[in-house]
Amino acid sequence: MSLAVQGHGANEFDAGEVIIEHVSNSSLEHPIFELPTLWGIDFSVTKHVLLLWIVSALVFTAVTWSVRKYLKQDRPVPTGFMNALEAIVEYIRDSIVLPNVGRKYLLSWTPLILTFFFFIVTANGFGLIPVFDVLGAINRLILRVGPEEKQFINTLLHGGVTATGNYNVTAGLALVTFISIIIAGSRAHGFIQHWKNLVPPGFAWPLYIMLIPIEIMGMLVKPFALTMRLAANMTGGHIAILAILSFVFIFSGLFHSALAGIGVGIVISVPLAVGVSALEIIVILVQAYVFTMLSAVFIGMAINVHH
Amino acid sequence: MSGKNNLTLHGIGISMADEENFLASSFRYLQKIVRQSGPAASASYTMIGAIILLGGLGYLIDRWQDTRPWFLLGGLLLGIIVGFYEIAKVVWKNRR
Repeated sequence: MSLAVQGHGANEFDAGEVIIEHVSNSSLEHPIFELPTLWGIDFSVTKHVLLLWIVSALVFTAVTWSVRKYLKQDRPVPTGFMNALEAIVEYIRDSIVLPNVGRKYLLSWTPLILTFFFFIVTANGFGLIPVFDVLGAINRLILRVGPEEKQFINTLLHGGVTATGNYNVTAGLALVTFISIIIAGSRAHGFIQHWKNLVPPGFAWPLYIMLIPIEIMGMLVKPFALTMRLAANMTGGHIAILAILSFVFIFSGLFHSALAGIGVGIVISVPLAVGVSALEIIVILVQAYVFTMLSAVFIGMAINVHH
Repeated sequence: MSGKNNLTLHGIGISMADEENFLASSFRYLQKIVRQSGPAASASYTMIGAIILLGGLGYLIDRWQDTRPWFLLGGLLLGIIVGFYEIAKVVWKNRR
C-alpha cells in the first residue's frame, strides 16, 4: 500500500487524491480486460469487477469442492475446512434464518442468506489482503518493470480491491434482497395479498392516504440502507488506514526530510494503522453478519405478517 | 468464588458452575441477544437510511430546480416520518 503511495507522489504528495484513487474503481478508459459494449452497457472488466469474479469463483469452488468431498467420504463427521463450514452454516440457519423466517420456509431461504454471507465475508476479507499491491511491489522491485510500461500488473495497481466497497456491488446485492422480499411475500400469501399486507388493516380510510406512501417509501428505503451501510463501512476503513499512512509522506514533505516522515511513521502511523486493520477484521465479519441478518429479517417480515 | 458458581444467566437458565461450559454458555447468551435485536437493528438502520435517502433526494431536487433549501427540508422531514414509522411498527408488533 505504502509503496504505491510512494510511487504516486514522486513530485508532490496529495493525500486526498491518493486515497480516492485507492478506494475507487479503476477507470473505464483503461480497463483490465477490454470487452465489447452490448445494449449500451460497457462490459469491460475493471478492478472491482475482476475481484468480484475472483471472489465468486473462489467461494463457489471452495464450498462445492469441500461439500462434494464430504458427501463422498464414509465417516459422517466432517473435518478441517468442512467442519468450520458446517459450523457457520448451522449457526446462520439456526440463529439468523430460523427465528426470522420461520420453520415453514426455512430451507427455501437459507441458501440465499448463506450465499450472501459467504460472498460478502470473502469479498470484504479480500480488501484486507493487499494482493495486487504485493504483486505490484514484486513487479517493480524484483522484476524491474517501470511504472509507465503497459503491462498486466501495472493496470491492476493503485486501488483498493474491496469489491463490496463499491456502491454498485452492494446495490446489486440489496436488489437481490428487495426482489426476494417480494417473492417471499408472494409465495406465502399470494401476489395481491403481499401488497395488501404492507399496510396494517383496520384504520379509517383517510389514514391510508398517508400510510400507503409512507409504506412504499419504507419499502424502498430498506435496500438503500443495506447498500449504503455495507459500502460505506468497507470504504471507510480503507480511507482511515490510508489517511493514517499518509502522515508519513505529509510530514516528510512538510519538513523536507525523510527522517521526519519515518519518525512519524514509526511512532504514530504504523501502530495506528495496525490497530485500525485489526478493527477492520471485526468490521468485515460484523458487516457480513448484519447484511445477512437484515436480509433475513426483511424476508421474514414479508412472510410472518402480524396484524 | 461461591458467587461465581451460583451465577445463572437469566432467561436461558444455564449455570456457569461448569468452567468448561462457560464459553459455550456465553456464546449461547450472545446468540439469544443477537436474535432479539434483529428487528430493532433493522428499524434503526431503516431510519438512518430513510433520512439520508429522502434528504439526499431533496438536496438533488433543490440543486436541479434551484429551490434551496425547501426540498432538502421537506425530504429530511419525510425521512424522519418514514424512519419513525418503521420504528413504531417494530414497537407495536412487540407490544401485541
